[in-house]
Amino acid sequence: MKKIKVAMVGQPNVGKSSIINSISDARLHVGNFAGVTVEKKEVLIKRGDKEIDIVDLPGIYSLNAYTPEEQVAKRYLIEEDYDILVNVVDANVLQRNLIFTMQLLDMGKKMILVVNMIDELEKAGGKIDDKRLSELLGIPVVLASAKEKRGVENIVEKILELYDAPKPKRKIYYNEKIEYEIEKLKKILLKSPHFHDPELARFYVIRLLEKDEDIYKIVHDLPIFLELHEVLGESIKRLKLEFDEDSVSDILADERNSLAKSIVMQSMIMPQKETLTDRIDKILIHPVFGLPIFLFFMWTLFQLTFQVGSIPMEYIDQVFTNFGDWLKNILPQGDLNSVITEGVVPAVGAIVMFLPNILILFLGINLLEQTGYMARAAFLLDGFLKKFGLQGKAFIPLVSGFGCTVPAYMAARTLKNPKDRLITMLVLGFMNCSARLPVYVLLIAAFFPAHNAGNVLFVIYIGGALLGLLVAKILRELLFKGEPEPFVMEMPPYRFPSLKALAMELWIKAKIFIKKAGTFIAAAAMIVWFLSSYPKNPELLAEYEARIEAAVSESQKKALYNELAAKELESSYLGKIGKFIEPVFEPLGFDWRLSVATISGLAAKEVIVSTLATLYAVGEADETSSTLRAKLAQSVDFKTAVALIVIIMIYSPCVAAMSTFYAEIPQWAWRGFYTVYPNVLAWLAAFTVYKILEFVGL
Amino acid sequence: MKSVLDMKISETARIKRITAQEPVKGRLTAMGIAKGNLIKLLDHTLKKQTWEVEVEGTRVALRKEEAASIMVEEI
Repeated sequence: MKKIKVAMVGQPNVGKSSIINSISDARLHVGNFAGVTVEKKEVLIKRGDKEIDIVDLPGIYSLNAYTPEEQVAKRYLIEEDYDILVNVVDANVLQRNLIFTMQLLDMGKKMILVVNMIDELEKAGGKIDDKRLSELLGIPVVLASAKEKRGVENIVEKILELYDAPKPKRKIYYNEKIEYEIEKLKKILLKSPHFHDPELARFYVIRLLEKDEDIYKIVHDLPIFLELHEVLGESIKRLKLEFDEDSVSDILADERNSLAKSIVMQSMIMPQKETLTDRIDKILIHPVFGLPIFLFFMWTLFQLTFQVGSIPMEYIDQVFTNFGDWLKNILPQGDLNSVITEGVVPAVGAIVMFLPNILILFLGINLLEQTGYMARAAFLLDGFLKKFGLQGKAFIPLVSGFGCTVPAYMAARTLKNPKDRLITMLVLGFMNCSARLPVYVLLIAAFFPAHNAGNVLFVIYIGGALLGLLVAKILRELLFKGEPEPFVMEMPPYRFPSLKALAMELWIKAKIFIKKAGTFIAAAAMIVWFLSSYPKNPELLAEYEARIEAAVSESQKKALYNELAAKELESSYLGKIGKFIEPVFEPLGFDWRLSVATISGLAAKEVIVSTLATLYAVGEADETSSTLRAKLAQSVDFKTAVALIVIIMIYSPCVAAMSTFYAEIPQWAWRGFYTVYPNVLAWLAAFTVYKILEFVGL
Repeated sequence: MKSVLDMKISETARIKRITAQEPVKGRLTAMGIAKGNLIKLLDHTLKKQTWEVEVEGTRVALRKEEAASIMVEEI
């Protein structure tokens, strides 16, 4: 089977991932802001006897790559081998996108132009003449809309056609003075035995004129380098003089801009002034009301997360309890029965209960992403974030951190400056991820009045965010002196979110969550169960059995059963581990059970809930405290519970997040710092809070 | 010379020169903020720290420092 390699490239937020999703059945994550895709992704599709391998590259504004994720795209374009370039552009901002298209045309590859979001342009009264555009550019043009699935099959057809056809002739040339210098330099480059392709030579020459260091490195080792270098210097000098500009890239930028302008003029009817975005922006980024509106949105999100999310909880709990009881009866008695019905089922149940909360939170974050409000929030918060040594764009990874810390670490790649990026990543853990949500919901429900639950949750999230900012400020002052990077960010137009895409994202999220609960968390629960049930202590059992036998009243018997269960747990492996680490947590009022639960949270934050469920499952006989919530309220005091919340807000994220950080940040010193400091900070903060609460007499 | 900072909200002007250094200059150019294009000031935040402009159909958010580097002439 023939394999066609296609590279999908374009400026950020033109819908590359959406196009791929609508061609294939892939489910790439999409959003309405620059920098959703930060790593290249591959999708395979089959048509007839041919296989098309499409690589989705992160959005890139120009070949003068600026941010790390743009560097990923650029390196791929220059170094990798592929058959066809598919350049996706946004019909609404065709002119700006075409500037980059010109740079791509310099590469001299087989190329297709896909004009996406044509539906939006046409709705606004605009029009693009694809035949004319194709003539002017000298490459095939497809008008498409990923949203309406329009023209997507056409893209595939064009890819297949172009693959078999010879390379079309170049149509775009620059000013003749520039072309003259290009021609001269090209001849020198082609003298080298490594160069046969005049198109590639032309591309290299243009990049060299623009002082592209990546290309400079490639030609540096060629034997003709000295000669080339000398003539290149002269050419640059001459061009700068003739055009009266500071650099050749300025001259070429100007050229490309004029070319794009004239092409657009000849092939496009501009839409009437679109004002919906203007009108919405008048309110949402209003100098005075913008910030309060933003805070109101966030507050509403957390209210909904708590209030609506708690409605189906009891039903889910009931289902798992019934399922456990049913299993208990049909499975043979013994250890297997116990580990499943007492260890795994309640643990998984305790976590699946929180699925509705998590889905609501994710829906909120997805709405922020897809409508384009994310960029507005970054705009509103830039001045505020700058005070803390961060920049507006850091808002995007920070908000993603409320969903999950792992993709948030990846999203930090949209920050160009390594210092900014590191600071942002070091404080990202303080943005409470959705895995911590179950723990908070459980603790809030157990220790705070119901009418205040949503507010407490809001305070926890805002508190975490503020703490993150404070730490960022301290890091900036102490360790990373210097100004944060300049802030230049595109503001996408508001778009109505695609309901299908939203539903799909939620479905994927639910699937991942349930899978995690059923595998990783079930396994962790099993380990916790074993550690808490072994070693068996026959002497203890014998002693208590005798005492229970001798007891006179029912209530006395019950009390003895509970005492036995508690003693057995204490003498288990887990009890021993807990006792060992207890001194560390003792000043916070934690007993060994809370200590163990806290440590188990390093595997995954939800595990804290399942561990608590196992450890506090003792004393089942007391029917007034049938739920974990009530048991916690009974055996843990208020200030300890608050200290636990503070610890969970601050200490290290789960192992998955930590390994992502290690993968993104290669320096060992920073890895070490990252591993230690949140835990120290968490302990100190929890201790302070505990003492304050003790002082005021709570 | 007049820069974006001197523009009024909703005013449109033509870009004459960009005084920012690379790589910011290249970034601005890639967003369409280039010599000869029309630029419209849409909004700024309360303390004039962050500015929003529109160039050839693209909205761009900038900081004060970057906005000050965009020189314009009235049309």
